Amino acid sequence: MAKPNFSSALVAAGALGLVVWPLIFREAPLYYQVMGMACLYGTLAVAWNVFALTGAISLGHAAFFGLGAYGSALLDHYWHWSPLLTIPLGALLGAAYGASWGLFFKRLRGVYLGLASLAALEIPKVIADNWESLTYGSLGMVGLSSLPTLELGQWQVTLGADLRAQYYLLLAVMVLVALIHKCGMQSRWGWALRAMRENETAAAIIGIKVNRSRAQALLLSSYLTGICGALYAHILGLIEPALVFNLHISALPLVMSIFGGRGRFYGPVLGAMVLYPLDQLVFQPWLPLGHAAIFGLVIVLTILFFPQGIAAWIPKARKYA
Amino acid sequence: MWVWVQILISSLSLGSFYALVALGFSLILGITQAFNLAHGDLIILSGYLAFALWKFYQVPFFWTLPVCLLAMPLVLLPLQMLLRQVKEPYGLNTLVVTFGIALLLQNAMLVVFSADYRLIRPELPHYTFPELPLTFTLNQATLLVLSLAATGLVHLVLRRTFLGKALRATIEDREAAQLAGINVKQMGLVAFGLGGLLIGLAGPLYGQNMYLYPAAGTEATLIAIVITIFAGLGRSRGILLGGWLLGLAESVAALTLGIRWRELVSAAVLLILLYFKPEGISSAREG
Repeated sequence: MAKPNFSSALVAAGALGLVVWPLIFREAPLYYQVMGMACLYGTLAVAWNVFALTGAISLGHAAFFGLGAYGSALLDHYWHWSPLLTIPLGALLGAAYGASWGLFFKRLRGVYLGLASLAALEIPKVIADNWESLTYGSLGMVGLSSLPTLELGQWQVTLGADLRAQYYLLLAVMVLVALIHKCGMQSRWGWALRAMRENETAAAIIGIKVNRSRAQALLLSSYLTGICGALYAHILGLIEPALVFNLHISALPLVMSIFGGRGRFYGPVLGAMVLYPLDQLVFQPWLPLGHAAIFGLVIVLTILFFPQGIAAWIPKARKYA
Repeated sequence: MWVWVQILISSLSLGSFYALVALGFSLILGITQAFNLAHGDLIILSGYLAFALWKFYQVPFFWTLPVCLLAMPLVLLPLQMLLRQVKEPYGLNTLVVTFGIALLLQNAMLVVFSADYRLIRPELPHYTFPELPLTFTLNQATLLVLSLAATGLVHLVLRRTFLGKALRATIEDREAAQLAGINVKQMGLVAFGLGGLLIGLAGPLYGQNMYLYPAAGTEATLIAIVITIFAGLGRSRGILLGGWLLGLAESVAALTLGIRWRELVSAAVLLILLYFKPEGISSAREG
């Protein structure tokens, strides 16, 4: 019964709006940049939520983000491969760390998984900080190649310099990842993850392979997070440990996801689209140093007053979570 | 050989301080079952308060202690009221809420105090023993004495008073304590009050011995969590032992691997502890 309803119409309208507005406002580099980063964080929030479907609250996703960034940056720096290759390959470093979480945190649940993820963020951070012969330590790596220029006949797009093209790239990545999220949530696998969240023993009894499903979710989540980190490194052109293995990078997807609403596939994206521009365009000029406090405030208010997130305010016919 | 004696001395004083850091966290967790991820950031806040008094109002270091001891419970009590509003799953939700508060505090401190590293440096003499190659600073002595005194006092309250009995009963079994006529809500207030006092004391000591910067709280929180999981809830002697062991492990790591790997010790110990004790703290309600 895929009857079009109010909610999906609204989501489609929102997506169309995101595609169309840069065609109307043709000279708005600041807005291209902010919305582009909002899309990157939207992708990050979706990636975080893939693991959160199992009921896990990760405070350590910055580890995957940073490892993806470092993986891609190292390939770029030492072998001079194209970012088109280094981004998907470098993100594998994040996925590898995700696999090790799957192994070592197999028996951890709830609060203790959250604490373990917080501690697990320290390990790659301290290593990247101290392995100076490879990573240049706390100085970080500079001069990374920017995103490549695409050519199709005489039509060419400089993804590195053209902020509008960059915005469209990040938007496309976000839409793709959100669609993966949607398919995942509607599949047997997605339902299995949520069944585990509600009652793991019951889920195991009805034949869900609990450990395998959780490990798959973590692997997908960490790989997608690694992609975000790698994209970030090449957009910025530089990385340093304190920048990517940063607690804020862990916090942002958590806040955006929970604020947006974890029950709908577009919830994390909605959260990012509302919060990031709000933070950058309203609070950043007003409070240049401590503007990220807004994310702390938002998460406190969300948990206390609307734990289902703002997506739950959008009425819909069918319930996914 | 003497270098090991030196390490023992410094890890003894540092470890006692770690116990002080963990004690408040453990009491709050045990009695109200709230995971306070902002614990370390509150200690840093108290440290900054002492720093501001010392630096801008020329208050002598020892007089900053009573001010912080008074101020921090006043910060903790609203936090307790806030955390009471949190719904199930309680553990996980308090974790997320206090994580948000930690972010809020870190950014607020960034605005007020900037990202510079600050240290409270009172004019205290060094003591060197002429015949032994050892140094013992008065800073270390203050740290050791005050931390041990506070831990000892909490221990006496927990073990020797009727209030302490009620607090321990609440940690042991909340429902049974309620059936026995203990006002569990009131115990929560007491826990946050005591936690506030301990945080108030820890802050100036932190600022005197380690550098204050807005994001420093995360490490202090990790230390509190590590020791609490090692020792269990509200067990003051176990917490003291855990603090000493962690202090020793950090000093040994700093000596053998280099000072910059020290940061990794508490995180690594936490992961190892959780690997072998996945249920974490047995008497806490699972989130």
